[in-house]
Amino acid sequence: MLSIAVSKGRLLDSFIEILEKSQYPCAVLQEETRKLVVESPQAGLRFILAKPADVPTYVEYGAADLGVVGKDTLAESQKNVAELVDLKYGRCTMIVAVPEALGIKDVAQLDFNSRVASKYPHIATEFFHNRGIQVEVIPLHGSIELGPLIGLSEAIVDITETGRTLVENGLMIIDEIMESTSRLVANRVSLKVKRTEINRLVQAIEGVL
Amino acid sequence: MTMKLQTPRGVKDFLPEETRWKLELENKLRQVFGQWAYEEVVTPTFELYDTLNLGDGTSDEMYRFLGRNGELLALRSEITTQIVRMVATRFQADPKPLRLSYHANVFRHDDVQVGFQREFYQAGVELIGSDTPAADGEAIALAIRSIQAVGVQDFRVDIGQVQYFHGLMSECQCPQISDQVRQALLHQDYVGLKQIIQQADLDRETKNLLLKLPSLRGGDEVLKKAYAATKNKVAQAAVDNIRDIYRLLEAHGVADAVQIDFGMVKSLEYYTGMVMEGYTPNLGFSLGGGGRYNSLSARFGTNIPAVGFALGLERLMLVLERQGLKPAPAKQSYLVLPKNWVKALAYASKQRANGYQVEVDVQGLSFNEGLRYAQAKQIAWIATVGDDEPQIVAVCAENGE
Repeated sequence: MLSIAVSKGRLLDSFIEILEKSQYPCAVLQEETRKLVVESPQAGLRFILAKPADVPTYVEYGAADLGVVGKDTLAESQKNVAELVDLKYGRCTMIVAVPEALGIKDVAQLDFNSRVASKYPHIATEFFHNRGIQVEVIPLHGSIELGPLIGLSEAIVDITETGRTLVENGLMIIDEIMESTSRLVANRVSLKVKRTEINRLVQAIEGVL
Repeated sequence: MTMKLQTPRGVKDFLPEETRWKLELENKLRQVFGQWAYEEVVTPTFELYDTLNLGDGTSDEMYRFLGRNGELLALRSEITTQIVRMVATRFQADPKPLRLSYHANVFRHDDVQVGFQREFYQAGVELIGSDTPAADGEAIALAIRSIQAVGVQDFRVDIGQVQYFHGLMSECQCPQISDQVRQALLHQDYVGLKQIIQQADLDRETKNLLLKLPSLRGGDEVLKKAYAATKNKVAQAAVDNIRDIYRLLEAHGVADAVQIDFGMVKSLEYYTGMVMEGYTPNLGFSLGGGGRYNSLSARFGTNIPAVGFALGLERLMLVLERQGLKPAPAKQSYLVLPKNWVKALAYASKQRANGYQVEVDVQGLSFNEGLRYAQAKQIAWIATVGDDEPQIVAVCAENGE
């Protein structure tokens, strides 16, 4: 039995689809339930329903053998897990954006008083650090676009799929930090101890992607 | 001034029961190390930063501070560098190989991560002055015997060879790509690995092999697979080396606990040959590890090959607890209630000499008070010693009979 930490929501449906195609039946995941742990004995899988940001933690500690999590969340978590498969869905881009009105076209134009709001403070800090640009990163938990609108920050670092929300809020992308998709990750010891089971699942998934 | 009751993050107290257990484990390890003729050494807790920085520890993780004369000092973050320094300065003329062991606390100013403390305890050995498969085999076999000695069940030790990867990558002309591939393998980022390899200037055979590296793991059947998979001479020599070591592990009678893993990549600046890592299904991270580090002594101006490993004490304790093997607090102890001090103290001395733990009441407790105290402290017997023969009462936790 392999345990997989997943998070509820839109992206879970994409994963269920992949599993079903890979001959790992997981109808239990679609049932309306408040249970946090559900099992699919036919598939030999136990699902742990977690908050997205907690998935890397469950996996790092070995509380779950595997996890499904966005590359953005994974990179931000700085957790020590093995990254097995790019699941190719949940595609988005991590970007730097500023209000159009600011007239800035390049991150290098942000001066040392600039503040950057982000749900991804580690990624943002590292990005600006590597470019040698001194800014203050302000961690927020949601509605990052608000930052520049209400004068909290000059720029934001956030993920976007289509860029529509940014445009609607008068923001313009000035740089791209990374592409993100959902990833299948594994605990480093589980990868050794449950190698056969994990390999079987990985091969099945890669076969249908 | 208000009292500060907090401790800094990443440090902890060992209370009496934990301390007793820790000492018990250390003594079991000490006994095994001793049986294999490894002599224990003690190194300083802090040294010149420049000395410690020659080793495997990264400079960020060391606690650094200034000495009174302005010299930069650091707390040790691992012991191997100190032992190599010791050997380079003190044991140059001695017959080799040297077998040395240690039990020590080390300090790492890392983010507190899973299973990591900023101060933690290591037990390890170094076999210095020999570059043979027999020496590697001894280090691995001793690691296995040590983990067995503390009682951990159901564990494995993975062995690999960094030259296998090194050989494959020597075909790659671009050092940047080579480093990216190594980082991806080190962090087990197999998605990133695929992306990097697609851009690498390597032949298709090597590319496929690098992608397959993580699956080059198992019993001795892996040796054949790994050898056949490449034409690179360095990589093939690495397989031959692991084969020699594996044969010796069979002779040591420990091959059952060993898995060969050519996908195991460790710091190439430090390790030069065989590498190992121990783990159990009960713990999401390793119990300890080590390997061959022939180039470290060159940084101290000598040329002495060496191999060694270290085990994490706290991690062993965590695994034993999860496996239900934490020892019960079984105390063979007396509380002596002195009515006649001369006789009571003589009786206490006699029982101590017999190997019991004996505490003599210094509070003037009545028998009933003594009984309550003994129950709370899980003391086995109360001896009331007056002018006559001592009155011994076995303490029973439930009804006090």
